[in-house]
Amino acid sequence: MQGVRYYDLRHVTGQVTHIDIDNSVVESAGSSFFNKAVIRVLYKTGWGVLQIDNYTPCHGRKFDALIRSACRLAGITQGNVVLGDAPRGILGVPPMKEDPRSVDIEEKSALLSGIEQAAVHPSVVNTRANYIEKIENVQFTDSSGNEYAYEMCRSGFNVLAVASGNGNIQMGYEREHSIHGFNLRHQQALGKKAAGIAVALLEAKAAKGGKMRAVLDPELAGVFAHEAVGHASEGDLVQEGSSVLKGKTGLKIGNENLTIIDDPGIHEFGFDPIDAEGVAVRRTEIIKKGIINAYLHNRETLSSVGHGIAGHARAMPGEPPLVRMSNTFIEEGDATDHEIFEECRNGIFLKGSRGGQVDPGRGIFQFNAEYGYLIEDGECTDMVKDVSLSGEILTTLHGIVLCGDKRIMSPGYCGKGGQSVPVSDGAPHILLDDAVVGGSGVD
Amino acid sequence: MAVAWIDQLIHEAKKTVDEVEVFYVNGISVSAELKQKKVNQATTSKDCGLGIRTIHRGKIGSSATNNPEQWRICLDAAIASGKLATPQEWGGLPAPQSLSQTPLSFDASLEVEPAGVIDLIEKMLTGAAEHPAEVTSGAASLSTATVTLANSQGVRYTDQHTGVSISLEAIHNQSTGYEFDHSSFMEKVDPESVGEKATFFATESDNGKEIATGEHDILLSPLAYAELLGNVFVPALSGRNVHAGRSRLGQSLGGPVIDSQITMYDDPLLEKANGSVRWDAEGTPARRVDFIRDGILETFAYDLKTAYRFGKKSTGNAIRGGFGGLPAIGHHNFVVDGKRSRIADDRVVYIHNVVGAHTANPTSGEFSVELSNAFWMEDGQFETPLRSAMLSGNVFDMHKSISGLSKESRAIGSLVLPSIRINKQRIIGK
Repeated sequence: MQGVRYYDLRHVTGQVTHIDIDNSVVESAGSSFFNKAVIRVLYKTGWGVLQIDNYTPCHGRKFDALIRSACRLAGITQGNVVLGDAPRGILGVPPMKEDPRSVDIEEKSALLSGIEQAAVHPSVVNTRANYIEKIENVQFTDSSGNEYAYEMCRSGFNVLAVASGNGNIQMGYEREHSIHGFNLRHQQALGKKAAGIAVALLEAKAAKGGKMRAVLDPELAGVFAHEAVGHASEGDLVQEGSSVLKGKTGLKIGNENLTIIDDPGIHEFGFDPIDAEGVAVRRTEIIKKGIINAYLHNRETLSSVGHGIAGHARAMPGEPPLVRMSNTFIEEGDATDHEIFEECRNGIFLKGSRGGQVDPGRGIFQFNAEYGYLIEDGECTDMVKDVSLSGEILTTLHGIVLCGDKRIMSPGYCGKGGQSVPVSDGAPHILLDDAVVGGSGVD
Repeated sequence: MAVAWIDQLIHEAKKTVDEVEVFYVNGISVSAELKQKKVNQATTSKDCGLGIRTIHRGKIGSSATNNPEQWRICLDAAIASGKLATPQEWGGLPAPQSLSQTPLSFDASLEVEPAGVIDLIEKMLTGAAEHPAEVTSGAASLSTATVTLANSQGVRYTDQHTGVSISLEAIHNQSTGYEFDHSSFMEKVDPESVGEKATFFATESDNGKEIATGEHDILLSPLAYAELLGNVFVPALSGRNVHAGRSRLGQSLGGPVIDSQITMYDDPLLEKANGSVRWDAEGTPARRVDFIRDGILETFAYDLKTAYRFGKKSTGNAIRGGFGGLPAIGHHNFVVDGKRSRIADDRVVYIHNVVGAHTANPTSGEFSVELSNAFWMEDGQFETPLRSAMLSGNVFDMHKSISGLSKESRAIGSLVLPSIRINKQRIIGK
């Protein structure tokens, strides 16, 4: 059709299996099915997009009719969309050690129940465990003749323990999600750990807010990288002017020891064999030795903004692709954990994550630890609860003075534009100077 | 009005299970997205979903699909799922009632067409031009959906919903502003005002000053209040969370839990409100539920499942997060009300929005969030903007001494809230 500059189709079908056990009651368990497609047509001045539930693959006249209706929609756009060139190619999906589909749901339910029961403790009033398994069959075609197909299975569980005592109520929460296959076996330790944290938090103090030195564990430091740097480096935000990192490539915002990467190609929870617009996935060094090096891009933002590579477009089934993070991490440094605590001397050790949020235009971020400990003379002492950190993207990173020598990745989900996608974040232990810690405690 | 295959499905299911429930949604939406001041993407979305729930000897099964032609596979999956569930007390799905069929959240004049979306966008941009901040992104969408609920007791309810959603983001130097609106009715959204407020807050928040760490009197806008209330307080009123031991309000029925000037209720029949319905997601007739009256906790919210299990009655508070979700306990139009007054006369820290409220501790209520578009306010006027600070506290404790509710309320999603003034809250400066 005249005026059509490009189109692509991403069709995803699949099945979701879940189990929810709450206080030893199987609340629900079973499977649901989905079939969703998105067709994007770049027509003259912009995108016309069709999101179709229950899509039946079609060719010839039927498909042309879909393209025409997308063109009619695109008729109301006034932009100047140009697509950058990008390499093609698909990675293999790593084989699963044990395919969840080969385990029947009764066995899954029994194993999950074992994890949930491991969280039972005299002070714990509620235990809850959820299993989720999502299988996606993705088919991609575009007007340039590219065709890809792959299948991904993600599965995992969460376990929650709620402890109560003296009018106080606290929770412990553990999770494990994977692309490497069924992971419910031999996991009771995580249920026990959730309970242990919930019970210990009953006695924890409220953190005292203010500026201090903080040691972040790998999970929380990973969320720090995700919130403080990852979102602001997304090319669509840079393109529209709502990132404080716009026009700042080459600027030094951290120490020499700080390198932050996003890599959709590594076999962590945010792995994609190919991105959502059919582009080969590769590693981007967002911050290299403390200097802003590159942004994350799709083809459109690459051509508009530059500095970086395409291959970072991701989408939920049936949704248009957005520029997203995948596996985001702070690279290892050379400090041992002992050196980090010694150097900290007096401060706070923050562990685990309850998530975070960023206003990338203002350059302000916030994220929350599950719990922490005071550090006194280089040793962890009293437990503290409900601690969050906030900071400014352009100044706070200078405060990362030491990076540990062992990195750990943690799985999770990230929301943007109403879409939630699987990601992983990670880091070694890091020492952060002048951390702004929020907490309701006072002297 | 139900579709023919729904009757067939129910007939088929009754051969195997005691009861069956069918939830079917069919909808269409049109939207456009702005990149700076130009529309660069227009989208049509056709949504379709079927959710099936079966009950057999107290065992509840469920499944969902967006291919209704495959309802037999979905029904088999629901029946199989029921075999795994722990059996519970069950008193039956609701029987049909003679409820009005006139939809409550439906605007017959709303046309789901690109022209209407463009009109909204243009009006937002006109409003945005009032202040020097630059528009970075925005969106407008129009939608309509038909919802059908049918069960083996003979319920065949159909409802129609419409929706208008608009939002705009702006930046001025390193200061951002965001505003949005959503309603079932076109006349209830004001796109010029949304545009104007987005650029107003971006412009006025520029050159923010520091604030000293300490106790300050604060005024939370409905937006900021919704973040804290929705993430922490509202879930504590869910019967399921209460009986599971996850609610801090669980032991306080009949006693004072918040300031005696405050009342909190769910009103599903509120005129022209976003969440208004005549029946809940399980077909229980929807009615007003007073959770907290003059500070006293009167009831929790129940759906059928939780009510039957704990010997209570459903309060008509079942909702569904889309067709694939099982019915869960929620609310329709959650209203915070009480004595209204002028709350901005005395000097106060006005907080338009907060960053990170979802990281609050939902069981204990503790939170610390970053402020967004905060100002020193004097005599109701925005004076000095505040660059960056955190607010720390406890959502439950904060409600024990409210200094006042504003005269105006605003709908934020399905919450209808005033601004609230709370004195002596902890702010951590930089």
